Amino acid sequence: MYLTELHEQVRDLARQFSDEVIRPAAEALDHDERFPSEIYDEMAKLGLFGIGVPEALGGPGFDSLTYALVMEELSRGYASVADQCGLVELIATLLVRHGTKEQQALLGDILGMRTKVAYCITEPEAGSDVNGIRTTAERDGTGWVLNGGKIWIHNAPVADLGFVLARTDKSAGHRGMSIFVVDLHAAGVERGPKEHKMGQRASQVGALNFTDVRLPATARLGEEGRGFHMMMSVLDKGRVGIAALAVGIAQAGLEAALDYAGTRKQFDRTIGEFQGVQFLLADMAKDIEAARLLVHSAASHIDRGLDATKACSMAKCFAADIAVARTADAVQVFGGSGYIRGFEVERLYRDAKICQIYEGTNQIQRVIIARELMKKGARG
Amino acid sequence: MKVLVPVKRVVDYSVRVRVKADGSGIDLNGVKMSMNPFDEIALEEAIRLREKGQVDDVTALSIGPRTVQDTLRAALAMGADKAVHIELPADTPIDSLAVAKLLDAIVREDGYSLVLLGKQAIDTDLGGTGPMLAGLLRWPQASFASELTLIDTHLRVVTETDSGLRTLELPLPAVVSADLRLNTPRYASLPNIMKARSRPITVRTPAELGVDVTPRLRQRAVSPPPARAKTAIRVESAADLVRSLRAEGALK
Ligand SMILES: Cc1cc2nc3c(=O)[nH]c(=O)nc-3n(C[C@H](O)[C@H](O)[C@H](O)COP(=O)(O)OP(=O)(O)OC[C@H]3O[C@@H](n4cnc5c(N)ncnc54)[C@H](O)[C@@H]3O)c2cc1C
Repeated sequence: MYLTELHEQVRDLARQFSDEVIRPAAEALDHDERFPSEIYDEMAKLGLFGIGVPEALGGPGFDSLTYALVMEELSRGYASVADQCGLVELIATLLVRHGTKEQQALLGDILGMRTKVAYCITEPEAGSDVNGIRTTAERDGTGWVLNGGKIWIHNAPVADLGFVLARTDKSAGHRGMSIFVVDLHAAGVERGPKEHKMGQRASQVGALNFTDVRLPATARLGEEGRGFHMMMSVLDKGRVGIAALAVGIAQAGLEAALDYAGTRKQFDRTIGEFQGVQFLLADMAKDIEAARLLVHSAASHIDRGLDATKACSMAKCFAADIAVARTADAVQVFGGSGYIRGFEVERLYRDAKICQIYEGTNQIQRVIIARELMKKGARG
Repeated sequence: MKVLVPVKRVVDYSVRVRVKADGSGIDLNGVKMSMNPFDEIALEEAIRLREKGQVDDVTALSIGPRTVQDTLRAALAMGADKAVHIELPADTPIDSLAVAKLLDAIVREDGYSLVLLGKQAIDTDLGGTGPMLAGLLRWPQASFASELTLIDTHLRVVTETDSGLRTLELPLPAVVSADLRLNTPRYASLPNIMKARSRPITVRTPAELGVDVTPRLRQRAVSPPPARAKTAIRVESAADLVRSLRAEGALK
């Protein structure tokens, strides 16, 4: 197909790592809500963080399609692990595109997982509507003073470095926000408790509060007032990543359901011999393949330098929706067992749901798709 | 000290192969190919020797059409220092003796002290190349190695036999073939996979090496194994097992 042997080589590496290391650990990680630093250390050694970071900046320099292939495979093992990879990719992309030389020097420790990062946008009053943020950074001599609070931030309980969106001009709307690189061990930074979630429970999520946190002038990433745009500029890649993650969850569900259908017997035959069950499996397979193709198409839009906004939103929205619907089918194939803790599909169903919410809710994705349609027409 | 590791591009172990409709061979169209797993183990062992400082240079070598260069790149990504491709036109059949002769020529030309290869290739399962090469070179050999130690100028090799383990000592230069338990090959990292794309590969031909690769073996036909008549049944007890074996006529 359109995948090169290089793509396949990296995908196979991720697949093997996922089967051997991630998938066997997933159930316990879900149960214990534990941050699997031993898995992340191994991934860092394999170069699985910062996949798109150019070789000149210490990364392997792969394209977005490779990134999508890796995300699907990691997520097939366990979505929380893939989400860590996605988070690092997003931060790394920001640094590559907008960082100064000094800021880019942080990449080594970030890709090596010696520095854990957090991407801090959401606030109690600002979810889908990012423009509602109230966190402020005010000039203080040559530097800045940060005040405010963020919620539901992935890695907040464990992170060393926050990339924080804050208002630098109250009257300038979208043009009044900037991104700051914040040392989360600094005075004035307070962490809320770890949240207990429905799924992706090994991802540590919590709140961060900033009270008069002093930032040096060098803490600002990119230009003043461009924070919102910088955040938007990496969204395409972020969405491709989450879309691939959703496909990986659904694929794991299909694999489990297919296995079970071939072994579970009722009425003297395997349940896979019943057409009613076969149709569930067929629908899972076709939706997963359709989602995967949307993801690959969106990734290659990015790689070819095309406008990828609509393609990425379609991929994210569709993949997340089918991940929820088809892992529900996987539970159905398992019958009562599918509802019991310890069966993989029970976890997959819980892990899938957040895909419709984070990285822009699926309603917001539809808003974007529709806006692009209105702007550029039915074929635009 | 230089080590040569021949690596063969074979149908991936996970592929369920199909025989071509005309029975002339296996259908390779669109089939996933990988490095022979035993060669991967041999390569891993060679790289470990280099990492211990006992070996200076590990060369991976593959024989076949241009596509084998992908397998060589995988070897470079794992940690091979150099790669040699002996190029054959596409679809050229080659048998173990011809492979052994090509390796013999390369070893004599480039001066290797150790050839580490897989005990067999998982496509043909012949296992003939290593012993033939040792014969041509008149070097000592150890087959089916599950442990290998390099002590000054000789090797201590533990090999697996049907009746147990055997420890051999052999002087260098030597030929050693790797068995499954020798090691677990590493994953190649993403940066190394990327770097391997731009590493040079030395291309040679059988003619340059003065080797005639005309096969002495001809494959007449390939057929799939007969389908198993019945699927397995599960029995509850040893008594049931004996009863079913009697019913099948397998026990009197
Ligand atoms: C596990 C987890 C991890 C997260 N990680 C991070 C992180 O690392 N960093 C970070 O900054 N944030 C993170 N978030 C926050 C996440 O991005 C937000 O929850 C998400 O953007 C939605 O915002 P909200 O929850 O405030 O929902 P709201 O925006 O309040 O939305 C509520 C509902 O209204 C709908 N809605 C809102 N606006 C519209 C509209 N215009 N048209 C139609 N429908 C609309 C939404 O689709 C949704 O159904 C995380 C959240 C979770 C649960």
